[in-house]
Amino acid sequence: MATAGIRRAGLALTILGLAGLVLVYWLSFFWVSTEMTQGVAQRIFYVHVPAAWTSFLAFGLAALTSGMYLWLRDDRLDRAAVCAAEGGMVFATIMLTTGPLWGKIAWGTFWTWEPRLTFTLLMWFIFLGYFMVRSSTEDPEKGKRFAAVVAIVGALDIPFIHLSVVWFRSLHPQPVVLKPEGPTLPGDMLTLLLTSLTVFTVLFFGLFLLRYALEGLRSRVELSARATV
Amino acid sequence: MSLYLDQIRVIVWKDLLLELRTRERIAAMGAFAVLAAVLFAFAIDTSVVRPQDVAAGLIWMTMVFGGLLGVGRTFHLEAQDGAMLGLLTSPAPKDAVFLGKTIANFALLFMISLLVLGVFMLFFSVELGPSPLVLVLVLALGALGFVALGTLFAAVSSGTTMGETLLPILIFPLLLPMVIYGAGATSRLMAARPVAEVEGNVRMLGAFAVMAVAVGAMLFRFVVED
Repeated sequence: MATAGIRRAGLALTILGLAGLVLVYWLSFFWVSTEMTQGVAQRIFYVHVPAAWTSFLAFGLAALTSGMYLWLRDDRLDRAAVCAAEGGMVFATIMLTTGPLWGKIAWGTFWTWEPRLTFTLLMWFIFLGYFMVRSSTEDPEKGKRFAAVVAIVGALDIPFIHLSVVWFRSLHPQPVVLKPEGPTLPGDMLTLLLTSLTVFTVLFFGLFLLRYALEGLRSRVELSARATV
Repeated sequence: MSLYLDQIRVIVWKDLLLELRTRERIAAMGAFAVLAAVLFAFAIDTSVVRPQDVAAGLIWMTMVFGGLLGVGRTFHLEAQDGAMLGLLTSPAPKDAVFLGKTIANFALLFMISLLVLGVFMLFFSVELGPSPLVLVLVLALGALGFVALGTLFAAVSSGTTMGETLLPILIFPLLLPMVIYGAGATSRLMAARPVAEVEGNVRMLGAFAVMAVAVGAMLFRFVVED
């Protein structure tokens, strides 16, 4: 697809995602029923969980495209990896800020060394390293390879991080949707959660495509600048 | 196959011989380990906590920081006079170079971790518990996982303008499993808990080390290609 087409698709998805976000906020404030024990604070759930899901999706996509980049050496794969990693950082930051806010009310503490918290924090730092490696090489090609290596090692290390932090047991609520006996979340809450998951995913892909189109334009400008020199 | 092993052996021998002649890294790491233990001894208020209670964690932190000091300089010598190019254009495949470097680093760090253990026994009067061999195995597996990731990312960070400053940022998040299982097993063994209680930790440390070595051997070629 040409850059202009990608940009239009990205713009359309982003607008759709933003409109959906307005709907999600409206629903979570005025429509969904209030949870019994935690009260209104539980409504942060409809932002926190979809942000978490989206950041995992984005980081997974970044690791996958990084691996494919090392294999196929197509610059488009590297661009896709950067854009996905940036999106992942944004949504992981949303998760890491909404989490402690909710935690303070629900658990009485902002931070606890609970598996999923620790896990996300480390993932955030792994991708911080990804961006630092990219920006601190003189030869951009080298930076791309180094960053891809960081993303792949990070992805392979993640099962170990997960197992080891679970070994350190937890306060965090257990899954309420994806479990063998089916969801236990009440109907309207489940509807809103799934709506919000869809909206966040659409928004991510919108931003991802816009960012990808921008990166394409940038590399074209760099190429033509090099050609004129 | 035997040629491949020979190539690895030559690189290990080269690195260890250089270290034996210069004693640069081992001296720095050793001095660091002892001095860190001295500072820890004064950083802990013995009227509040017993040093033995936190010793296992401190041993692992000393290993990690001391290891960083030595492993970060893995490619320091090669960076001069185009020696890296010589090493890479040699007939040895890139993964043999990585494995050789990793084994040489492992030898250094393993010696240092035994030194750390000794220093803590001396300064903090920690007990090794009834199964010191298992404890040594735990340290060895941890050191192996550490040097494998450390060698790979030392190659990455020495290729950047930030140099060794970048190394801890890249490997600390990845080392969490090693620290959790390693320090957990160490403190249990030192508290004379049964070996059966740390079997799971030892297995996870082993799996982590195998993953780190395999990943490093696979990805090293992408880091050093030019």
